[in-house]
Amino acid sequence: MNAARNLREFFGRLRTMLKVDLLRMFATPTVYIMFGISFAIPVLILVMTASVGGMSEGGASAATFTNVWQAIGSASANGGTMSMDITTMCNMDLLFFLIAIFVCLFVGEDFRSGYVKNLFAVRAKKTDYVASKTVALFAAAVGMIALYFVGAMIGGKIAGLSFSAAEAGTSAGGIVACVVCKIFLAPVFISIALTLAAVGKQRVWISVACSLAAGMLLFMTLAIAAPLNAGALNAVMCAAGGAMFAVGLGAVSGVVLNKTNLV
Amino acid sequence: MNGIEIRNLTKNFREKRAVDGLDMTVPQGAIYGFIGENGSGKSTTEKCICGLLVPSGGEIKLFGKSYKDPEVRKKIGVLIEAPGCFPNLSVWSNMKLQAANLGIKNEDEEIRRVLRLVRMEGSASNKFKNCSLGMRQRIGIAFALLGRPELLVLDEPINGLDADGMRIMREILTELSHSGVTVLISSHILGELEKIATHYGIIRGGKMIKEMTAEELSADCPTYVALKAGETQRAEAALREKFARVQSDGERGEVRVYGADASAVTTYLYRSAGIAVSEVTTRKISLEEYYADCMKEGR
Repeated sequence: MNAARNLREFFGRLRTMLKVDLLRMFATPTVYIMFGISFAIPVLILVMTASVGGMSEGGASAATFTNVWQAIGSASANGGTMSMDITTMCNMDLLFFLIAIFVCLFVGEDFRSGYVKNLFAVRAKKTDYVASKTVALFAAAVGMIALYFVGAMIGGKIAGLSFSAAEAGTSAGGIVACVVCKIFLAPVFISIALTLAAVGKQRVWISVACSLAAGMLLFMTLAIAAPLNAGALNAVMCAAGGAMFAVGLGAVSGVVLNKTNLV
Repeated sequence: MNGIEIRNLTKNFREKRAVDGLDMTVPQGAIYGFIGENGSGKSTTEKCICGLLVPSGGEIKLFGKSYKDPEVRKKIGVLIEAPGCFPNLSVWSNMKLQAANLGIKNEDEEIRRVLRLVRMEGSASNKFKNCSLGMRQRIGIAFALLGRPELLVLDEPINGLDADGMRIMREILTELSHSGVTVLISSHILGELEKIATHYGIIRGGKMIKEMTAEELSADCPTYVALKAGETQRAEAALREKFARVQSDGERGEVRVYGADASAVTTYLYRSAGIAVSEVTTRKISLEEYYADCMKEGR
């Protein structure tokens, strides 16, 4: 009974705080800049690589984009291995770095502006803050992924690339599963960046640098966890991973905020 | 029940001890003037009360409960240093965010009420970054008043306010205190503080050196006769022979005689030394002078 009441109270508090976070997020220009960048990345990648023509200095043909779905992800070969070239590196996974930067900027602004003084003077529960930030930033991340997808479609059309899923070694279902996997993986990066932002507080550059470093370490696993030819199992695993990271690191962030000075 | 009760509060920043075993009692409904030099630990204490700094030791109770209690925290209004606002948002939007944080139901009505209180209703649409220092302080006070808190913690709220702003501030705090709101206010503008405070706490080196009520302060502040004469040094020497506590104030060019009657002093001076007094007034030691004495004693 107590647990149910606590949970109900938690969701009540989360609702009011989430309202504040969403209000704030969409009232400041940073989120729109991030949305703009998310849209521009695939357009620029596809259009510019198409105009270069994929020739390296020696005249040999370099790996380049031939199919629009390569901008979303790369299909894994049997055994989960994949080659490392521009098409494997420059895809939707780049967005996770942008998400991490956005998390650090968004949380860092709370500390830099002194907003935390207003907030934590009247709100004692740091877990509410972390949970609300995670949900609000997840919503922003979904928006960024959606805009990237739209950008990839437009960029592919401008560059005249093939839209055939089969040519990219996947199917329509695989592409959907891949995008869903990326969405489920967003909380992993959000929670890592959120923890680092809680540690860095108003020193945004520290949390940004550390988040990017953590992103670098995880970058290779992204292609394996969410390949272009993903299936239901990938989606389930990514969802479980995302949820566990969000809860686990969310608790760590809460402890960090509870045990350290906020100003 | 006390609004704030602190026992043996300690706060260390690495090697430096900012607050050192501080005890403080702020009765409910009091306006508590918290006085101390820069770096004496006032702001650190206030930040600990507000849960913004983690105390290294000691106990803080608000309305008889732990300061960490979420129910207690909802009763606090805070202005620490400067208001925590987003510079690119308007005053109104910033207040909307805080109103939502507090879970206020009639947000717009409440925001209009507090902005009207601080005479800022006409500036609600201004971006916070475009507000002057005085306006920002008023906004900070409005922030603190949102949701009708039962405890106000104000750190240097009068800084940057013009005469009108100070008067408004005085009126608001006095009215709130009459309605039972507890106010903890730190300020270096002791003349203003003296007009409203019902209790005082003087902190030095992170320790509370004196806590008293306004009545106790008044009783502790003797009256003195301040006189100006042509020959100040000779007058001072003559008065020292008769009166126990005589002090000269070089800046004002006057001699002060404590615990004496004005007519007795002037008569004595004329009869014993033949010195005529050009100006004589009876005054009471101000909070500022009392505080300066306390600080001197410490040194």
